Amino acid sequence: MGKKICWIIIFITLAMNVVMLQFTVHSYLGRESNQVYVYSGVAVISGMSTVITYLIWRKKEYNENA
Amino acid sequence: MNDKKYTKRNQSNSNSDMVNLVNNLDQKTDLKYNRRAFLKTAAGASVALGVATLPLSVRTLVGAFEDDSDHVEIVKLSELPKGSSVKFNYPTEEDSALLVHTKSGELKAYNNACTHLMCPVFYEEKEEVLLCPCHKGYFDLNNGQPIAGPPQRELPLIEVEVINGVVYAVDRKYRHG
Ligand code: FES
Repeated sequence: MGKKICWIIIFITLAMNVVMLQFTVHSYLGRESNQVYVYSGVAVISGMSTVITYLIWRKKEYNENA
Repeated sequence: MNDKKYTKRNQSNSNSDMVNLVNNLDQKTDLKYNRRAFLKTAAGASVALGVATLPLSVRTLVGAFEDDSDHVEIVKLSELPKGSSVKFNYPTEEDSALLVHTKSGELKAYNNACTHLMCPVFYEEKEEVLLCPCHKGYFDLNNGQPIAGPPQRELPLIEVEVINGVVYAVDRKYRHG
């Protein structure tokens, strides 16, 4: 995976999480518990992919200079 | 100082102290470090947003175990003629609600805290609407949807059942219709 792809993935997950947070709050206020779980599950998974992608990026970025 | 000398002095790795003072400002590495910091911030923000949804899940999970579908007696139907309304509290003592017996004989119940700024909503008999006097908010009596004024969200609907001539509140729905 190239560094550029890492950048893209991180920004996609970031955008997704902004939307998911908004959706979660909305369904929380509407007391739609099933949707709360779905949206927040998606948000957590997307957050985890961010972390993994970030670690991959970091490895590449700093290995290059070593 | 002539021009030629000036140019020479400004080349990097010159011996001139004045030039070496700014040697640490290398645009390329500067950019690189900034880019790294930017990506880290973005990644951090993404994770933070993802984690921020968790408390809502937990609260929903906790709330799911609270049973608010108990039957609560409101009033005897015979004491509530058509075109009148009565106040009650459901599901807790803090949630004030309004039961309306419409002119056509239907029973409609909603939590009556206005979804704008929580003022109590009244049944307006003449036009058969729910009226919030605070900022002139109007709600449809049939489905609790806002029809005029500042409120944007519908009133929570309370489902009622009539058992042996007594009206009971049985459940509450936040989004409906
Ligand atoms: S509080 Fe009801 S309209 Fe403002």
